[in-house]
Amino acid sequence: MMKNYGQRYTYAMLFWLTVFFVFPFLIILVGSFLKKGLYGGFEFEFSLAAYTSLFSGTMKKVTLNTLFVSVATTVLTVAMAIPSAYYIARSPHKEKLLFLVIIPFWTNFLIRIFAWIAILGNNGLVNSFLISLGVFNAPVQLLYNRWAIILIMIYTSLPFAILPLYAIIEKFDFSLLEAARDLGATKWQSVYKILIPLIIPGITTAVLFTFIPAFGNFAIPDIVGGNDIRMLGNIINEKLKTARNWPAASSISMVLTLISVFMVLMFNRITASRDSQQKTET
Amino acid sequence: MKKSLSPSTEKHRVSLAFFILTMVFFYAPLVILIIFSFNEGRSMNFTGFSFKWYKELFFNSSKLWGSFSNTLIIALISALVSTVIGTLGAIGIYWYHFKMKKYLEVISYLPIILPEIIIGVSMLMFFAGIGLPLGLFTIIIAHITFNIPYVLFIVMARLAEFDYTVIEAAYDLGATEMDALRKVIIPMCMPGILSGFLIAVTLSIDDFVITFFVTGPGASTLPLHIYSMLRFGLSPVINSLSVILIAGSLLMAFTSRRLFRYMFK
Amino acid sequence: MRKIIIWFTCMIAAFSCISCGEKKQEKQKLYIYNWTYYTPDEVIKGFEEKFNAKVVYDEFASNEEMFAKFKAGATGYDITFPSADYTSIMIKEGMLEKIDKTKIPNFKNIDPELISGIEYDQNCEYSVPYMKGASGIAVNRKLVKDYEKDMSIYLKPELKGRMTLLDDMREVMGLALKANGFSVNSVNPAELDIAKNLILKWKENILKFDAESFGKGFASGEFWVVQGYEENIFSELEESAKADTDFFIPKTGGPYYIDSMVILKDAKNKDLAHEFINYIHDPQTYAKFVDAFGFPSINVPARKIRTGKPVYTEEDLKNCELKLDLGEKLEMYNKIWEDIKVN
Repeated sequence: MMKNYGQRYTYAMLFWLTVFFVFPFLIILVGSFLKKGLYGGFEFEFSLAAYTSLFSGTMKKVTLNTLFVSVATTVLTVAMAIPSAYYIARSPHKEKLLFLVIIPFWTNFLIRIFAWIAILGNNGLVNSFLISLGVFNAPVQLLYNRWAIILIMIYTSLPFAILPLYAIIEKFDFSLLEAARDLGATKWQSVYKILIPLIIPGITTAVLFTFIPAFGNFAIPDIVGGNDIRMLGNIINEKLKTARNWPAASSISMVLTLISVFMVLMFNRITASRDSQQKTET
Repeated sequence: MKKSLSPSTEKHRVSLAFFILTMVFFYAPLVILIIFSFNEGRSMNFTGFSFKWYKELFFNSSKLWGSFSNTLIIALISALVSTVIGTLGAIGIYWYHFKMKKYLEVISYLPIILPEIIIGVSMLMFFAGIGLPLGLFTIIIAHITFNIPYVLFIVMARLAEFDYTVIEAAYDLGATEMDALRKVIIPMCMPGILSGFLIAVTLSIDDFVITFFVTGPGASTLPLHIYSMLRFGLSPVINSLSVILIAGSLLMAFTSRRLFRYMFK
Repeated sequence: MRKIIIWFTCMIAAFSCISCGEKKQEKQKLYIYNWTYYTPDEVIKGFEEKFNAKVVYDEFASNEEMFAKFKAGATGYDITFPSADYTSIMIKEGMLEKIDKTKIPNFKNIDPELISGIEYDQNCEYSVPYMKGASGIAVNRKLVKDYEKDMSIYLKPELKGRMTLLDDMREVMGLALKANGFSVNSVNPAELDIAKNLILKWKENILKFDAESFGKGFASGEFWVVQGYEENIFSELEESAKADTDFFIPKTGGPYYIDSMVILKDAKNKDLAHEFINYIHDPQTYAKFVDAFGFPSINVPARKIRTGKPVYTEEDLKNCELKLDLGEKLEMYNKIWEDIKVN
């Protein structure tokens, strides 16, 4: 009975994504195996040049840098998001708080970054404050390095981590925690052994929503990054526009996609094993 | 009972601390925005108090308002459509097994993973290839496409905690599929659906890269407009607009309580 | 549930009405794709009134993104404004429509020396020059006292961390090549290598390569020395700060650009496009344009009509060289630029 209807729910999605996403995606996939046109675009000639050019020292360095920044961002973001989502889910004003979380993000992204530059810049609030207090004589270089990138990325990713976590924590049976406390567990034990395992799907989503945009990001490194770091997103951007090398931009995107998929699958595997561990224990 | 009170309040203190920290983190730049919207000068140094940017906003910025209204229309429509498609899709994927399932799961992941610039260029090539004229319509299509996976994942995370026996009970009591959907599943998933919707709106309002490539002549959105002003002096008018936007949203959130309760029920 | 749908529909309808207001015209329409803030509003409005037309005006911030859009198939625009190197590329790619000069009598106002020197589009068959200009170096005189008006300023250790260069491969390489006496269009590996080493030395002293916020950063005092376009920088400065700002084109020279108006092959309203180009080179209009931005004028009669002074003059550009398309050799530059950025 229901087994048959199930498919119907997905028809709309299936149709939409296939037409509007899969076809464009195929263009890129095929394009990565084509020759570069002199002025951009693709020439209809098979070529692996786009992929062989990836095995250079600079690409490895850039990839590692990008991984570092993305992983750091993800870990810190999710770590901050879980308690915040928890608080919202348990609050009687949850809807209002949720809205409060989202609203800053309806102002434009670029404007918010410039506001951060006004705060962290050499002439910005933090530095002016520290200098006026006499803590430092000269401004401290807070911006234009990898930590600035990480900070701003955390800033832009937090709501996307908080929302899925909220969605799942809201359904959580909090009496389980109290039961654990009654049975003698400490506060942290009950969180670690009961809450976290049961909200793993939410954590997975939060990780997904944070890591992947961070990994492919180019706007943030462009504006607040400095000379010490170059990220994959910037390289793709440059390959597409400045170098007019569409196959190379496509091949890097494919690699980026593969690495992201790999990281997500690995994460799923780790959490799935915890999940089943959890299930066998209970 | 005393014993169960203390763990809950203790827990709340730590999470409250994090929450407050997060809120400060979120709103700090906004405070800056608000202060600078009243700044006399254009630069990032505060020179004096003035309403002039608000005046400019309301009397001299028709292009800005045009982009702004475009952005809102696109955001609302694309968020609505993608929430509907994504929610239904989530229900389908989560509970049923069918032939195309693996394929569907894979193509649902991909829009989030592929870099925006690549999605933008490839969609442009696709639209050009099928002869679809660029404009608001193509922007909406593009936004729906990248929003669907986000809605999908959030609703699915929610479904993971769902107790299927409730639905079985409903069917046993004679509910039709439609009833089960409207009266049981959707209401119980509402927090997930709503989170998905909010994320979709947020993503759409701010999207720059994909929109840049698939936009057509005359169809400017707020991010495009702001980006184009970037090199040429981000006029503080934008700060004023942001302040109005925030004030408006907060007002809407806190005064229309009834509408709110109804939406969130 | 129903209420939500009604609420949404109302909101969407309300906002649609706002944008509908703009669509009631039966006038002719001209679709222009231009650099951000490159044509003053009053010039556009003047055109709209004179020809009873509506100008739909979209903007881009770099040749590369404009070209990437057209290359990927975007249509709908009548006129766009590529720089010299991209003009020749667009001609080679067949994207442009030949210009009928009989419809542009004001073409004669353009400096003949400029026209005769144009190689990228012989006889200006496909393009009409709009502006000739160059990026330069802006210095905050309140904070930087002793310096020469050339690239040696980027080697000063006391300015470390307070300077930026443009995030633009051709611009920066052009400056480095010129500083060593080479051509900005050089494809000699030895020369490029020397230029690269010079840039690496500069890189040690700069804070970042920046193509977007150098104007804001300079105005706020965050950066003391920037490479950039004068119109961006000066539009950010308060009147009082302008006196303390020195903008120069390096003595050793650098790349200059010529931006041209071109008509796209699939333009819907080619006649109106020609009218627009003609209108721009009406000396009154052109004078308004250069006064608004402080540019030097390529329109000869306009030079006498204009009231303001240009920030830099034709004289200043004498050591500069036009950036041309390098074709396949661009790869050499790409590799070097990537190397510079990553290491």
